[in-house]
Amino acid sequence: MSEKPLLRLEAIDKSFPGVHALDHVDFDLYKGETHILLGENGAGKSTLVKILSGSLPKDSGRIILRGKQVEITSPYHARSLGIGMVYQELSLIPSLSVAENIFLGRLPKSRFFFVDWPGIYKKAQQILKRLNLNIDPTVPVRHLSLAEQQLVEIAKVLSLNEQILLFDEPTSALSEEERQQLFNLVNELRERGISIIYISHHLSEVPLVGQRVTVLRDGKKIATLPVNEADEDTIIRMMVGRELKEQFPKEETSPGKPILKVQGLEIKGALNHVDFTLHEGEIVGIFGLLGAGCTTLVRALFGLEKIDSGKIYINGRRVTISSPEKAIGLGLGYLTRDRKDGLIHPMSVVSNITLASLKGISQLGLLKHRKERQVGEKYVNELRIHPPDLTRKLMYLSGGNQQKVALSKWLCSGSKILIFDEPTRGIDVGTKAEIFQLFNQLTKEGVGILMISSELPEILAMADRIFAMRRGTVTAEYRRGETTQEKLLKSVS
Amino acid sequence: MGEQRKKLSTTKNNPKSTIPSRVPSVASLMSQWISMGGEVIRKNLLKGGPIIALLFLIIYLAFASPYFFNLSNFLNITRQSSINAILAIGQTMVIIGAGIDLSVGAVLALSASMSAVAVSYWGLNLAVGILLGLGTGALTGFITGVIITKGRIPDFVATLAMMTTARGLALILTQGLPVPSHFTALKLVGYLPAGLIWLGSGNVLGVPVPAIVIVVITILGWMVMTRTTLGRAIYAVGGNREAARISGISYVRTKIITYTIMGLLAGVAGIVLTGRLNSANALMGEGAELQSIAAVVIGGTNLFGGEGGVVGSLIGAFIMGILGNGLNLLNVSAFWQRVILGLIIIGVVIFDQWRRRRFAV
Ligand SMILES: Nc1ncnc2c1ncn2[C@@H]1O[C@H](COP(=O)(O)OP(=O)(O)OP(=O)(O)O)[C@@H](O)[C@H]1O
Ligand SMILES: [Mg+2]
Repeated sequence: MSEKPLLRLEAIDKSFPGVHALDHVDFDLYKGETHILLGENGAGKSTLVKILSGSLPKDSGRIILRGKQVEITSPYHARSLGIGMVYQELSLIPSLSVAENIFLGRLPKSRFFFVDWPGIYKKAQQILKRLNLNIDPTVPVRHLSLAEQQLVEIAKVLSLNEQILLFDEPTSALSEEERQQLFNLVNELRERGISIIYISHHLSEVPLVGQRVTVLRDGKKIATLPVNEADEDTIIRMMVGRELKEQFPKEETSPGKPILKVQGLEIKGALNHVDFTLHEGEIVGIFGLLGAGCTTLVRALFGLEKIDSGKIYINGRRVTISSPEKAIGLGLGYLTRDRKDGLIHPMSVVSNITLASLKGISQLGLLKHRKERQVGEKYVNELRIHPPDLTRKLMYLSGGNQQKVALSKWLCSGSKILIFDEPTRGIDVGTKAEIFQLFNQLTKEGVGILMISSELPEILAMADRIFAMRRGTVTAEYRRGETTQEKLLKSVS
Repeated sequence: MGEQRKKLSTTKNNPKSTIPSRVPSVASLMSQWISMGGEVIRKNLLKGGPIIALLFLIIYLAFASPYFFNLSNFLNITRQSSINAILAIGQTMVIIGAGIDLSVGAVLALSASMSAVAVSYWGLNLAVGILLGLGTGALTGFITGVIITKGRIPDFVATLAMMTTARGLALILTQGLPVPSHFTALKLVGYLPAGLIWLGSGNVLGVPVPAIVIVVITILGWMVMTRTTLGRAIYAVGGNREAARISGISYVRTKIITYTIMGLLAGVAGIVLTGRLNSANALMGEGAELQSIAAVVIGGTNLFGGEGGVVGSLIGAFIMGILGNGLNLLNVSAFWQRVILGLIIIGVVIFDQWRRRRFAV
């Protein structure tokens, strides 16, 4: 690694209206290394890699690739320079098939200009194999789970055979097993001489995939250090610039009466006689790998999947939940795994936060703007939504900050039963504690929380009870403290 | 709460932190006002791409034509723009909700015909006749909304169908003749009541009645869109229908109410136009749908839904009205006027896109 860097960024500067996203950042990348980029939500990580991938123009600074200065003008141009990127917000086209998405814009043609479909499907299959991914390349992407979409997105970039790969939070939608596979793949690519910039909020991944680490804070580069000097405490201190409180501030509560009870829930091909109960003031965790049916289960509870048989009781009363409207009427709230599904991008931050509690901030259909602003300010402050501008349109927030907004919406909704599918997805370590603190507040008020999480430490620390799921069946139930990461993983795989 | 608010206002990017803190309260207060004012100007004036275009247009025409810049011409423009403005307000709500209403011209004619027939042939009194016309408009809009939501038919298709249906019904109702027609007038029935004519061409203290109608409707429309849960629901449904649904906002209800309001406003426009023309007929308001959509687009509302506002559309309608008036004064042929309008729509939208990206508004 002593030779010249393959890629060097000098004094890259980028401003958005009201935000200095990158402040003269220097960065370099050597051949055959994985360079990890860390920082809080809104620190400028995505902005930096987007500038490299040609999807954002820089304001000033120089990019030196293979010793020559380049101006990267478009993603297409970046590709021709050997740079490929996996975006944080996935960029697949839902109505097109997996194979079409993988080969988008460069469908191989056979003779006479016709697209060579059998050839494409076969090639797509081969690429998916490398990720150990068993999906039919002919199905439209919209039928895939978020994790599968994420893997297809990765497959797409891999198929380009680029020399530099940019991964923006590639593991945020993945569960343990696929993560391991991705690490293996990243390491294999690196050994083949490919250079990788890797963004993640999972600090435990740092030693598994990286050689060097760069930390950004408020758009400034704080430091670059080799991975063996980058223990978690050091990194966290650099990232947040302050000492961190207890990461999982779980407060013991004594669960009250059952508020949600599910008996023999059955969905053909997805769920197999699922039973469980959620009590007032309790956090129940659900853990499973890709295809275990966790998301299907909670979607069914929220009226988004048709149930074949089984009974649902809320506060002891039998209910049928046929639509989200009905579910909300019964006191449920649901944070989707893909935050895009729950957010209104062209609407302001504050309007998104209060979207599920319009009744609470209005009278006879008239909005009380002052009250609305107070609610918004509370969450902007407590969850450190950055920039702290209530009227900013949601689409101009960084991924993690959008997630905070999506979460806030349900935290303030007054729902008695909250269903969270990966609540901390894409959220930085500094804010997670704040979120769990709010969970505690809610459970003290008697709210029951059903939380799907693939973060083992998080689910082990925060859930009062954990249900392990495999292929649509609950395979084990543990109380808090009864199980370990290994045991939990074993019961789902 | 107070403490949190303080925290909010002391973030790094705030320009006021550059003011030296040695001079206390007054200076810092003033700088706070200035920065707040700056923020307000940034948020609102920049939002007002259309208003800049309007001002340029007025200034240009004021120099280009000696007949343009005077009160009577402005009142004239207001009268001419009123129908388009009323429709554009409703169309804005529809478009923000990610819909589009191609039937507004036809519904206008149907409502107008209904009112005119009711007062001149059926001998109903004016108030009842007007209510009947407005009711017809609202009902048509309601039905459109039901067809779109319950029938799961795209807005474009449903309103296209409603466009020809309503036009047909208007023709049936009036038997294809103007109401009142000279034929019936000979029989000494069928003159429109003076009250109806006043609504289209009367004045209150020198202000044309249609101008008052526009002001009232714009204020109401603005209130609905910014101050009510309905408005919020329209933005949400237009911005991301699935996300709105998951947040407990009813797509069906929101859509139906929006189209009902649109229908009602088409009825209002129909009655004002009847008053101005002194008669109603089944073919009035042809092309009004495209005019209103053009006003909305010029006004900066996103055709894909989720963003925009009624005030912009009002300005859009006036830009179109002033353009037509000014080009007439400059003796530009009607054929060229259409070409110019087309170019202006494209220019304004390009500018608007750039402005959004540049200032992240
Ligand atoms: N298109 C945009 N318009 C305006 N502001 C933007 C835009 N994109 C990003 N920003 C702002 O730039 C800052 C940096 O955003 P960026 O997406 O790079 O953060 P990040 O480090 O990737 O955060 P996260 O961990 O949440 O993904 C944020 O404050 C964000 O609000
Ligand atoms: Mg990011």
